[in-house]
Amino acid sequence: MNDHEIFINLIKNNISEMLETIDSLYISCNSCTKNMLLNRLRRSVTNLSMLVQGFESSQHLSDANDPQQNPTRVFTLAELRKYNGRNGNPAYVAVNGTVYDVTNNAAWAAATHFGLTSGRDLTGEFASCHSGQSALSRLKAVGTIAE
Amino acid sequence: MSDINNNCKNIKIRLETASVLVNNAIEAINQNKIKKGNLIWLELTGCSGNIISLLDGSDPSFKKLATKMVNFIYDNSLMAAEGELAMDKLFGAIGSDFILAVEGAISTKDNGLYNVIGRWRGQPVTALDAIKALGEKASYVIAVGTCASSGGMSAARPNPAACVPVHSLLNRKVIRLPGCPCHPDWFLGTLGYILQFGEPALDGDNRPLMFYSTLIHNICPRRPFFNQGIFASQLGEETCMFRLGCRGPVTRVDCPIRQWNNHVNWPIGNNTPCIGCAMFGFPDKMEPFVSYDITR
Ligand code: SF4
Repeated sequence: MNDHEIFINLIKNNISEMLETIDSLYISCNSCTKNMLLNRLRRSVTNLSMLVQGFESSQHLSDANDPQQNPTRVFTLAELRKYNGRNGNPAYVAVNGTVYDVTNNAAWAAATHFGLTSGRDLTGEFASCHSGQSALSRLKAVGTIAE
Repeated sequence: MSDINNNCKNIKIRLETASVLVNNAIEAINQNKIKKGNLIWLELTGCSGNIISLLDGSDPSFKKLATKMVNFIYDNSLMAAEGELAMDKLFGAIGSDFILAVEGAISTKDNGLYNVIGRWRGQPVTALDAIKALGEKASYVIAVGTCASSGGMSAARPNPAACVPVHSLLNRKVIRLPGCPCHPDWFLGTLGYILQFGEPALDGDNRPLMFYSTLIHNICPRRPFFNQGIFASQLGEETCMFRLGCRGPVTRVDCPIRQWNNHVNWPIGNNTPCIGCAMFGFPDKMEPFVSYDITR
């Protein structure tokens, strides 16, 4: 089974679980049970939206030019500069030779972080503020910087 | 306007923190269990927005502070005395037990000459003179607002008057209440706590944990939009303003619960992004406040 089919299967399972929950909601008259079922429904909706997102990105897997999907991509500093979070571009930063995606990182609103802009190598800045912290492990690596 | 969830115990209790602390302090003073505090409020290099904000306090209110909680010895905007008489009061407090609240940064260029706060015995008194004379003599020093806490607007690039925050000039602990301005509850709650129990629990940057322990982003009513990736593309849209430059994710304070102007509303509740005014580095490091040139 390829990724595509796995996602379709999971989505189908999720939908049938939601239908079951809705059936049960019709017949339950106890408010406590109702709340429990509603919570379950909400969980299913969240799962479903995650699955749909996963499904969409699995469709792009073959697109090797999209650095999001190709962590082996090598960037020159000039190329990196384009990924500054402006004009619809994603926001990338480089630290210690690795390029990370900060587009949806909460601390990088408007692709900026404590006066720093994205599209740059921030190795020095990172070391002066976050040395010894695990901040990098939470970011998605999208490539490396050319030697 | 964002609705306050009246059923949530966490929110209810947090909203009452300041008024409970102030009322208990006043009760203890009335029963002679503790003494009224002596309070000196210095307005140094800033806009005086913090004293204005304090006057706006509702529960607890400024009136309670000034009439029942402390002897308000000095504040240049509010006191009746003026000129030499006012300065006598200020410097006369040295030697007594007093709490010093400071708003505004301190201009240090050319010996502080760019911020003269009065004249005493024929000599100009600079903000720098005042903080040096009183800062180490006070029983507690509270930096009220972002300028006093971290330089803020007064120290923004290019900082022509070489402004610095209070703690950088004093060889002692300074309790910091950043916010542009400081919420009346943050100050009054901290003061009420000090009068009764001494120093409150502080974080690594000396901010009272009772007000500064949570990131705005973690208690923001628009957080579900962030989690689902539903972002506003322009001001006015009632979703998450992350893409426009919201600084809620890096700003640690309780605005979403406490809200402003008698707990009525707050920036995000009014569709403008948080600009990180209560975070160190504001304003320079919190820019851009709003950006329309954004990611996908
Ligand atoms: S509006 Fe700001 S604080 Fe609220 S969820 Fe979005 S980014 Fe976080």
